[in-house]
Amino acid sequence: MAAAVKLAGKGYDVALIERKEELGGILDQCIHDGFGTKIFGKALSGPEFAGHFMDEASKLGLDVHLNTYVKSVNAGGDVKELVTVSPRGVERIKARSIVYAIGCRERHPFEIKVGGTRPAGIYTAGMVQRLVNLYGILPGKRVLIVGGGDVGMIVARHLYLEGVESITVVFPEEFFVGLPRNVQQCILDFNIPFRPRTVVKEIVGKERVEGVILVKVDENWRPIPSTEEFYPCDTVIFSVGLVPYAKKLRAIGAEIDPRTRGPVVNEFFESTVRGVFAAGNLVQIFDYVDDAVESAYIAADGVEKYLAGEGRLDNPVPFKPGSNVRTLTPHRLEWEDERPVVAFLRPAVEGRAWIIVRGGNGEILKKEFRQYVRPSTLERIEIPREAIDGAEEVYIDVAGV
Amino acid sequence: MSLESKVRKALRDFPYEIKFEVRDGVVFLDGEVETYQEWVEIGLAVGRIKGVEGVVNRIRWKGYPKEELKRKEERRRKLYEENKDRIIGEYDVVIIGGGVTGTAIARELSKYRLKVALLEKATDVSVGASKANNGMIHPGVAPKRGTLKAKLNVRGNAMYDELARDLGVKFKRVGSLWLITPRTLQKYRRYLPGPFYKFVSAYIFPYLVKLKGMLNGVKGIRIIRGEGIWKLEPKATREAWAAVYVPSAGILDPYELVAALAENAIANGVEIHLETEVVGFIREGETIKGVVTNRGTFLARYVVNAAGVFADEIAELAGSREYTIHPRKGVILLFDKELEGWVNHCVTELRFPAPAHTKGGGINPTVHGNILWGPTAVEVPDKTDTSVHPEEIEEILERYREIYPDFPRHRIIRYFAGVRAPTFTEDFIIRPAKWVKNLLHVAGIQSPGLASAPAIAEYAVEQLRSMGLTLEPKPDFNPHREPIPRASEMSLEELDRRIKEDPRWGNIVCTCEMVSEAEIVEAIRRGARTLDAIRRRTRLGMGTCQGGYCTLRAAEILSRELGVPISQVVKENGGRLFNGTVRGEEP
Repeated sequence: MAAAVKLAGKGYDVALIERKEELGGILDQCIHDGFGTKIFGKALSGPEFAGHFMDEASKLGLDVHLNTYVKSVNAGGDVKELVTVSPRGVERIKARSIVYAIGCRERHPFEIKVGGTRPAGIYTAGMVQRLVNLYGILPGKRVLIVGGGDVGMIVARHLYLEGVESITVVFPEEFFVGLPRNVQQCILDFNIPFRPRTVVKEIVGKERVEGVILVKVDENWRPIPSTEEFYPCDTVIFSVGLVPYAKKLRAIGAEIDPRTRGPVVNEFFESTVRGVFAAGNLVQIFDYVDDAVESAYIAADGVEKYLAGEGRLDNPVPFKPGSNVRTLTPHRLEWEDERPVVAFLRPAVEGRAWIIVRGGNGEILKKEFRQYVRPSTLERIEIPREAIDGAEEVYIDVAGV
Repeated sequence: MSLESKVRKALRDFPYEIKFEVRDGVVFLDGEVETYQEWVEIGLAVGRIKGVEGVVNRIRWKGYPKEELKRKEERRRKLYEENKDRIIGEYDVVIIGGGVTGTAIARELSKYRLKVALLEKATDVSVGASKANNGMIHPGVAPKRGTLKAKLNVRGNAMYDELARDLGVKFKRVGSLWLITPRTLQKYRRYLPGPFYKFVSAYIFPYLVKLKGMLNGVKGIRIIRGEGIWKLEPKATREAWAAVYVPSAGILDPYELVAALAENAIANGVEIHLETEVVGFIREGETIKGVVTNRGTFLARYVVNAAGVFADEIAELAGSREYTIHPRKGVILLFDKELEGWVNHCVTELRFPAPAHTKGGGINPTVHGNILWGPTAVEVPDKTDTSVHPEEIEEILERYREIYPDFPRHRIIRYFAGVRAPTFTEDFIIRPAKWVKNLLHVAGIQSPGLASAPAIAEYAVEQLRSMGLTLEPKPDFNPHREPIPRASEMSLEELDRRIKEDPRWGNIVCTCEMVSEAEIVEAIRRGARTLDAIRRRTRLGMGTCQGGYCTLRAAEILSRELGVPISQVVKENGGRLFNGTVRGEEP
């Protein structure tokens, strides 16, 4: 929505395609607050935040296609063609440029090799949020939540308030990895029990979950022998990470970064397929919706440049994660432009740190101090174009202080 | 030597006092041993003896679930007493078990003027071993010559082209490729010095495999080497010295097949009763008069026992316990469809003798484009033990990485386990019961049971005829069944035309597999009552995200179509999808 609204505001003819019955993605199920602190300076709920963009879209009279599934895309040429399927039929839509903003999916227990059986009673956190907030049904009575990130904590608080009989959160890290405000407001304020350095080894139960076998892990997340313990519950909720839903982009030939698991993009969030842009959690998992919106605004600027046929650099400048950086976007600098480059990076360390932008030969191009960085918080840094001028490649490091 | 003295001799290898009795070729064992593994080994040792037609293993091991079995028996008796006088109907044939064997027999019988009922205790057909195998239609090289397995496997394999066409089931003869590597004859290395080892491995052993297959009646077996191997399987290990290529090996979706067999049987007049559990029999002398279930009694002239892992318990209830099933679990890993093309044949590495835990396993493509690794083979005391232990996942990943060293092994999207139903004689047991007149055993149907299924059905019906059942062909038998159309596979023109008639074709519920609402509704119309039954028929939730997105939407559709609140929607059998309170309702 953010990309569409921005482009429509610039006067372009924009179609917005959405697979669900309404706009807003998963924001409709996020009834907790905390959205929009950066953009609006206040903590809105998910539906309120989405509502702002929905209002904009309707004011601008966007051509919105709801309930529409994109079956295939021919993105090769200057004119791109989408084949869509909806209750109205099979339709073809031609566009000069496409912005993908199809978000992420939740990792499921098979991706972390949880053993045992596969009965009823196993859910992902997002599924539970939807079930509780939109359908008014609780998944079960005695709940175990796996994962110490933001989503897990928020779901824990929610189920606590909705009155489940028991609830415990387990995670392999030494402490919760989500935002500190969530640790306080979701877990500590309600005295919800949690067990660090603990993972689910196996699920037990034939038709319905009867419990799990928990096991303690060391600092490398390796199970410690003979620490298995049976924990009775009828519901296991996995909140073990989000992954960009990149398969549709892969299908049109876009290159995928194995670190972010999203597309490889330039500074205007353009994928390796020319004229095809990506924004939001499809590119990487943003911790703040506000940052996701910024990525959409930048992509919209990119579309404008692309449509205007503006110049690209003869030699794109690769951006590479340096020391203590897990993921980095953009992956390269490709356009001629004046505006500063906005980079997002995920640190591999925790604490006070310098974010250092340097050239291939080690020369420091820019340095910024951060009071507190950590792996669970995506860092944003603006790099002026002049600083990069002449560099053949750019590295970003995080150096603990 | 008499059978008795052979059994006595075999039991001498075990440090226990085992009592035994032989009746009509069936050996009954009794006694106590330390471990479950020993229970299995003793049974197998006796089962191997020539002339033994069945082993009933009543030996107890430490940890034998006596209390649990007692509770089970009490529950069964209670259900029996409650339901034996309620008559549901009179049938020519009652089939017990809705797996591939039972449904194939039901469909075979539906060709004749007969009143047939199939009883299945679960909420769907195909929920036992039939849903949890690798879908391979084995060519028939592996079974021992002269066994029923060998005969029915080769015949069954040959029947699949026509059967799959009739039933609208996807079937591909992809061929199998068995690699011979430096590990193949590892156990014999010390007897084969220097270059002999490679010579025997690469130039003699493959011909022995080929000969074995030919003697079983398998056609077209070829031995290939070098580039010939990598032309077929470009990413297979460069270590391969030779490979045995068997073109008749095929793959299909086993639950698609079972659903199709069941639908076609129903279309031809068979009754399929789900959630109908057999709890006993009404007998008059040596003849079964009625099959008692939790829903009432089905009067029957003939009874077919196709109860899979529970076949021995059904045989016992019927009064002709002639074998014991020793459940053998197989774990399978499933990989993302995006890896389609990585493996094109059913590939495995031959090992002689086969390592205990991976017997028969390999790497297979599926008809949907996924790739499977496995299964393993582990003896488990519990017939319903479909758990997958993390160590088992690692074991499979280790075992097969050697033949596909660069395979992206992290792209697992699911794993599962099925429990095979072998008897101790390890061959199929398809014969009239020895001590009951009108019961046909179709037991011990383990691998290659899926491949043999059409031939098993044919053979079983022949047996029923020899037992006195009159088979009068039905002129209006319709062998055809239309598959559920798939939005993901039809042309855009067809999809558009369907949407114009019914907009639900355009409502895509599962985005990974592109499954429309219309397909889900159609699956329900054809008898799916649970989420898993829908998954098996439509592939909903079978993709990369494993239902994270579509589960609730599918539950909503099930709730609407079945007319039950969403909180009552079932995943499978007794497992409700959601177990908690509903807002506005009393907890």
